[in-house]
Amino acid sequence: MTQLRWIWLLAAKDMRAEFRSGGRLLAMAAFVVLAAFLFVVSLDRTQVPGRSVAAGLLWLVALFAATVGAGRAFDLEDQDGAFRHVLLAPISRRAVFLGKAAANWVLLSLVTALAFAAVTAFLGVRSPGSLAAHGAVLLPGTVGLAVVGTFFGRVSSHSGLGDTLLPVLAFPLLVPVVFFGATGTARVFLDRPWPEIAGPVRLLWAFALGSLAAGTVLFRHAAEE
Amino acid sequence: MTLEGRGLVCDYGATRALDGVSASAQAGAILAVFGPNGAGKTTLLKALSGERKPERGQVLFGGGPVSGGDPTWRARVGLVSHRTGLYDMLTVAENLRFFAGLHGTAGARRRRRAVDAGLATALDRVGAASLADVRVGDLSRGQRQRVALARTLLHDPEVLFLDEPFTGLDPYGASLLETALASLATDQRIVVLATHDVARGLRLADRLLVLRRGRVVLESAADEHRAHEVTAAFSAGGDGPAETSIPESLAG
Repeated sequence: MTQLRWIWLLAAKDMRAEFRSGGRLLAMAAFVVLAAFLFVVSLDRTQVPGRSVAAGLLWLVALFAATVGAGRAFDLEDQDGAFRHVLLAPISRRAVFLGKAAANWVLLSLVTALAFAAVTAFLGVRSPGSLAAHGAVLLPGTVGLAVVGTFFGRVSSHSGLGDTLLPVLAFPLLVPVVFFGATGTARVFLDRPWPEIAGPVRLLWAFALGSLAAGTVLFRHAAEE
Repeated sequence: MTLEGRGLVCDYGATRALDGVSASAQAGAILAVFGPNGAGKTTLLKALSGERKPERGQVLFGGGPVSGGDPTWRARVGLVSHRTGLYDMLTVAENLRFFAGLHGTAGARRRRRAVDAGLATALDRVGAASLADVRVGDLSRGQRQRVALARTLLHDPEVLFLDEPFTGLDPYGASLLETALASLATDQRIVVLATHDVARGLRLADRLLVLRRGRVVLESAADEHRAHEVTAAFSAGGDGPAETSIPESLAG
């Protein structure tokens, strides 16, 4: 219970500060709309049907949005040295990591929903398939993106290289999320039956839970001096 | 109760920040750690608080070894540094409730009233009672620093580390903070103050330690009349000017 309370405290603090300032959320929202628009205008729509590329575009936009968000995830902590005080509190490093990742996931979920709306609108996909099935694919995928992004967000902000290092470290690890996420989402767009969608969803959950486990174990090394 | 560091060695890459430093601080007294920039003051505080694991040496509290990996030790420690560690977008009360929650002194709804009472007492003690609902981003540097001190008082730490708390404060703000700090050691707390403000440090402290290049070059009882001796210890060896804020009247 105590761990959950700490996780809630940290996530609630992050979300309150983010929603009040709006900076990171607005930047991520503007980014996904612009990125989706640019991807769509770069396609030759006479050759490529929108429904066949929508899934790939959605996951690429979500990946880039996660990177933008994760790059700023620790700004709040580093601004005036608050993280030093968080680490000095008698709470577990696991709770710190999970609290930060939870707040990241909430922000990423919101902008991914926006990305979904933008991609389908710009590509003119009128019947995108079951929204519940899209949710079932997007949920574990965004958890994986948020968890890996949070971990490497800390590593890169700690390194002094900032946002430059983050994609180099995170993108290779996130290939499975983009691959299985795009596969699952494409099948939902094509109205395939659930058993065909369940395979990628299971693999996305495996990735999400595996990265959560690895992140909670390794975070203390990334967090401390 | 005593906090003691024995033979502490800390390295940052190839740079040795602490080179076999031993120091001890007693409950009910303030130990001032002086030294120029880069002398190892902050590193010593981090080693003593457990924020940084020394390469060699050990930290003892009440005769037993302590480490930053132990949450029960971290619960007994408080920190006020020149960076206030507060969140600009949250109000003073929200900041304090958050940190009180991390220290297990908040959370359950039925205890909320008790926490708010503790919060009001802590703010009152540092002369910031009227600031509870103000966003931290709207506070002056001096006000932020007093709120940071209030945050530390919330969990009533047995050991308090003050890392350059006067940096960036105007004389009025520094004076208010000094008044608040002066009362801390009277609670049988161990207080370790790192500063290069020699005059203010000597007014507050009971004992002093001067570091230079990661080594102790002077250790003695604190006395305002020793300002000149402390300053001389800063720059002994002629390797650069000391950075102090000693008033001319004292330094002369």
